[in-house]
Amino acid sequence: MSEKVSTTNERRLTIARAMAEAIAQEMRVDERVFVMGEDIGGLGGVFGNTRGLIEEFGKERIRDTPISETGFIGAAVGAASDGMRPVVELMFVDFFGVCMDAIYNLMAKNTYFSGGNVKVPLVLMTSTGGGYSDAGQHSQCLYGTFAHLPGMKVVAPSNAYDAKGMMTAAIRDENPVVFMYHKGLQGMGWLGTEAGATVNVPEESYEVPFGKAAVVREGTDVTIVGLAMGVHNALKAADLLAKKGVSAEVVDLRTLVPLDRDTVFESVRKTGRLIVVDEDYHSFGVSGEIIASVCERDLSVLKAAPRRVAYPDVPIPFSRPMEQFCLPNPDKIVAAFDTIGGA
Amino acid sequence: MASDIVIAGDLWDGDEQAVVTNWFASDGATVTQGMLLAEIMVEKTQFEVRAPADGVLTIVRNVDDIVSKGDVVGRIA
Amino acid sequence: MQPNREQQLWMYEHMLVSRYFEEAIEKIYLEGKTPAFNMANGPIPGEMHLSNGQEPCAVGVCAHLDAGDIATSTHRPHHVAIAKGVDLDRMAAEIFGKKTGLSGGRGGHMHIFDPAVNFSCSGIIAQGMGPAVGAALSRKMSNREGVAVAFLGEGAANQGAFHEALNLASVWKLPVVFVIEDNAWGISVPKADATAVPRNDVRAAGYGMPGVHVAGNDPFAIFAAAGEAIARARAGQGPTLIEIETSRLAGHFMGDAEGYRPKGEKEALFARDPIPRMRDRMIAEGNLTAEGDAEIAARAQARVDAAIAFARASDYPAAEEALERVFA
Repeated sequence: MSEKVSTTNERRLTIARAMAEAIAQEMRVDERVFVMGEDIGGLGGVFGNTRGLIEEFGKERIRDTPISETGFIGAAVGAASDGMRPVVELMFVDFFGVCMDAIYNLMAKNTYFSGGNVKVPLVLMTSTGGGYSDAGQHSQCLYGTFAHLPGMKVVAPSNAYDAKGMMTAAIRDENPVVFMYHKGLQGMGWLGTEAGATVNVPEESYEVPFGKAAVVREGTDVTIVGLAMGVHNALKAADLLAKKGVSAEVVDLRTLVPLDRDTVFESVRKTGRLIVVDEDYHSFGVSGEIIASVCERDLSVLKAAPRRVAYPDVPIPFSRPMEQFCLPNPDKIVAAFDTIGGA
Repeated sequence: MASDIVIAGDLWDGDEQAVVTNWFASDGATVTQGMLLAEIMVEKTQFEVRAPADGVLTIVRNVDDIVSKGDVVGRIA
Repeated sequence: MQPNREQQLWMYEHMLVSRYFEEAIEKIYLEGKTPAFNMANGPIPGEMHLSNGQEPCAVGVCAHLDAGDIATSTHRPHHVAIAKGVDLDRMAAEIFGKKTGLSGGRGGHMHIFDPAVNFSCSGIIAQGMGPAVGAALSRKMSNREGVAVAFLGEGAANQGAFHEALNLASVWKLPVVFVIEDNAWGISVPKADATAVPRNDVRAAGYGMPGVHVAGNDPFAIFAAAGEAIARARAGQGPTLIEIETSRLAGHFMGDAEGYRPKGEKEALFARDPIPRMRDRMIAEGNLTAEGDAEIAARAQARVDAAIAFARASDYPAAEEALERVFA
């Protein structure tokens, strides 16, 4: 990402601040944009992503809601269908259970059901990710769950530059976008710090297009594909591999729907080896999709079997040694390479 | 003339220490007065640290360092 | 319905155990988290939601329950678990993530399950209500005794599950009681900004059941209201909704700076701490002496100390145990 840093006017932001800045900039130019969710008003969002908004825009456009996800997400669908542009927060993605109908049966399908005549320009932002012992109902990623269901775009930034550009693009998109932000990358010190996510963010408005993965580190021996926190795990693994003389290429998927299969394929065609890092559950999800996409296109590009470093198919355990055992990490990625590193 | 970036005494109640959670400009960067430079955190609350002057930044205390009120976290020259 | 002396002493002692437990947990939670508050660190990682101030809700209700009755609670469960008779050693160990915990460390503080006393809790708002209705259904269908109590916060009364659970319990005339612990705050949002009516007991009429409001966070008044509701349920007369005005002396979660609370609110709440109020009343009415109080306090503290010591001394589970017990 070095090409984006301007050393004279460098201004780094956390993902939380980048999201808030994107929302504010859009709200200043488009009065149809408003924000709803729990604790997004005076508190600025539990994860800091609406910081400063209620002070600038007031309670009419920055609305704290009751604990009524089905109610306010359903309402967001209705408001979006009627010409508004809501940005709604589902505080933890794990809470989708209480409001999934509004999401996957209404938000995602109304455009299709109407033959394209009704638009639902809604942004559903939601926190994902674990590693800090918040247990099985507050630590999930669920990327696969949302990416699997047709009708909604699904995006997950790994850094603040992408976060701001993707939030701007999401608000301007005529379609529903599920904006999944990883709690460990937000820049909230109480969830740990991932310095690699806090990067230079231009002050002006800009978009990061969906469906375009980024090669964030070039290499020749193996392609490591990741999303959100997985990208940072992959970059650290690449450093470890470099010490062993292995050159790893890291691909940041950035968006799941639409998915940039071409960039992934071209990278694997170059390196011949594929490792997918996925903090979501192992089976029936993102890692399988990436691998299948490469294999079905041209199996001959692979010099070795593909590998995935993903969360095992178990509810997320509370106790720290058990949770850390389950999470992807750079060492697991290196170990995965060791099984396919041959000549 | 150099300006110290000092943790203000009135940022939070009490004597608890804070931790530096984010730097938003790099060591050696040119910064402008009032620009958001860093965040420090006391328990779970983050506070902003802004540039007291224009100039070139030198970082003195890094991310994860523990700081107290009155500490100098950086300098601008 | 007033508690007799034995019941008063039972309630008082359980409030003390509960409070001392929360105070111990609070100290230990902060270990490893100062000065840099990283939630992942320390012997008790993750989130922590303490029940200081809400003890009367737990003891006033659970005084009428035995081990065979069912109770479901929330992300703020400790006081209810203690009043319900959950194994304190194993609950403490679970909160520490040790292998001797109730779930071998898999659940932690928001997912405490003790089948021996039919207690469970969940971290998703209002999601304890459906299971309480179901437990009541099970007892009715199988002609077994028992009442279910679902504890919830006032914020949960705006969640879909609340309305469905109340309606279903009423339509099927089930032996279940819904107890709202109204501490006036849903994280940073006050009740007045989230709930369309000032008191949730009026919502009961919409679901064909009695609604009761209990003011003042008073264990005696709670005992009376809960006793009546539980007796109704046991007699086959169906569900009741109770809303109790209580107070949250701690933040929503540990580390919550509570900038959203108006100035002076917390000081006023501490002045009305229900535990010294109950002590003073029992002494004034001749049901407790200063010596007796000291004895009870010492016993409560010792019980908490033992549970914490058990938790600290226990081993962590082997990391690979994360993969076990997904299926029975």
